[in-house]
Amino acid sequence: MIPRPDSSSHDERIISVNGVKFSYDGCVPALAGVTLNLKRGEYVAIVGGNGSGKTTLAKMLNGLLKPASGTVTVRGKSTLDQSVAELARYVGYAFQNPDHQLFCSTVDDEVRFGPHNLGYKGDDLSKKVGRALETMRLTQLKDKPPLSLTLGQRRRISIASVIAMDSEVLIFDEPTTGLDTQETDDLMSSIEGLNREGRTIVLITHDMRLVAKHAKRVVVMSRGRIVLDTDPRGAFSDLDLLRASSMLPPPVVILAQRLKKYGLSGEALSPEELLYLVFRGKGGIR
Amino acid sequence: MTGFTDLYTEGDTFLHRMDPRVKIAAVVLLSFLAFVLTELRYLIILLAFIFLLLLMARARLTKTVFALKFVLRLMLLIAILWPFFDRSGTPVIVSMGPINITEPAIWRGATSAVRVGCLAAVWYILMFTTSQRDLVLALVRMGLRFDYGLTVAITLRFFPTFVSIIDSITDAQKARGLEFERGNIVKRSRNYVAVLVPAIVTALRTSDALSLALQSRAYGARTDRTYVRELHMRATDYAALAIFVALLVVPLAARHVFSVSV
Repeated sequence: MIPRPDSSSHDERIISVNGVKFSYDGCVPALAGVTLNLKRGEYVAIVGGNGSGKTTLAKMLNGLLKPASGTVTVRGKSTLDQSVAELARYVGYAFQNPDHQLFCSTVDDEVRFGPHNLGYKGDDLSKKVGRALETMRLTQLKDKPPLSLTLGQRRRISIASVIAMDSEVLIFDEPTTGLDTQETDDLMSSIEGLNREGRTIVLITHDMRLVAKHAKRVVVMSRGRIVLDTDPRGAFSDLDLLRASSMLPPPVVILAQRLKKYGLSGEALSPEELLYLVFRGKGGIR
Repeated sequence: MTGFTDLYTEGDTFLHRMDPRVKIAAVVLLSFLAFVLTELRYLIILLAFIFLLLLMARARLTKTVFALKFVLRLMLLIAILWPFFDRSGTPVIVSMGPINITEPAIWRGATSAVRVGCLAAVWYILMFTTSQRDLVLALVRMGLRFDYGLTVAITLRFFPTFVSIIDSITDAQKARGLEFERGNIVKRSRNYVAVLVPAIVTALRTSDALSLALQSRAYGARTDRTYVRELHMRATDYAALAIFVALLVVPLAARHVFSVSV
């Protein structure tokens, strides 16, 4: 994918990935030349099959991995010159498995850990923690031991502990794995809220319905490359490419595409859109 | 680090084909031999012999280099430190305050270094050429209770998994602004609590799930176990065993029967 040159919005660019290559073992490339620019306030979904390089790319964004060649800059500064802890101030990363980070004896302590590490103190710290707990609906549970709670609650704690650091960019790695529909909806609406506050969201996921519903930009990865970088509508229209990257659009998108043969005009990303297209000009839905 | 948790390299050399019990016996016998030999030159020959076997095992070069580096560093450390602590003998080479270095101590240091080198390197013969499955099977066939054999197998199997879990936990805590290298020793050791607690919890959850998985596959339903793979000693295995035994017996006989210094 060639990045669109866009000098007018250069100042809005918060993370730039430029021609990044990376390999874990020195043989098989995990990233084979990736270029990607993230602007402030974007909601980007990174999708792709297993082993396509999604997580590797995400770990580049907060400095957990450093490029073997090419550059990654966060707010204009190369990640090579900054530690992960320094970058955490600007880029938060919520890991897939909450059990890989919870270690405190209360939820409150757990959420406090990150902002405390960043040097926040006193009222400022308490305010950040309080707001994160509220966003993830954890205020009731704040004195409970995290490890005794359910997976959905533990995931919320791990996310709260990241958003409490108040970083501008938030990366969510498969945040809905193992959650039921209600928990997924609640979590996704919390993430929407964070995006509305102006935070940049990077969502790594397999779930195309989440992409259709929430993302405003979709980056499709396959074998360490970005093969498509567009809006969800554009991403889902290229069925062959998605299949080649071992993915499928949500059923409703496929249904709308099939209905085109029968005269449906346009594409649908949600059941509502499909209904609108079907009943448009027929006096609405009865 | 992750790449070297399993040293086994697939192959079809005579060492790969050798019965794992013979290889275990070889490790034990050669280790004894390293203690029996006291002359530096014979120990060097033994070390060379062990490395010859390693070369014949055709392990991947990266693994061999890794193994070599470890053994050489260990040997160097012993050879350098030994003369500082062993002050006996003459002639004295350096004598400065508390430092008193003698020539025999340097020789003794070198001898111990090579001996420890042998003791460390000999394990690679077994580890390079024996899959974990065969290793456990051999131990069970040599009389280890199957439960314990399985425990060993599971430990070996989960070691790399556990290493990658620790990596992932470390990454997660770094992403929360934890700096492992900062602060004094108390602060630093406290930082590791943030890794250890999730690691232990994850290990417990994993072992819990694993025990359920084992039970649901009827583990322990029969007390008289049958095995898919059986071990058979072949003529070459007996020959190899005889050679390894001879390697230990000949120097012992030379010393005690013929009074030759070895």
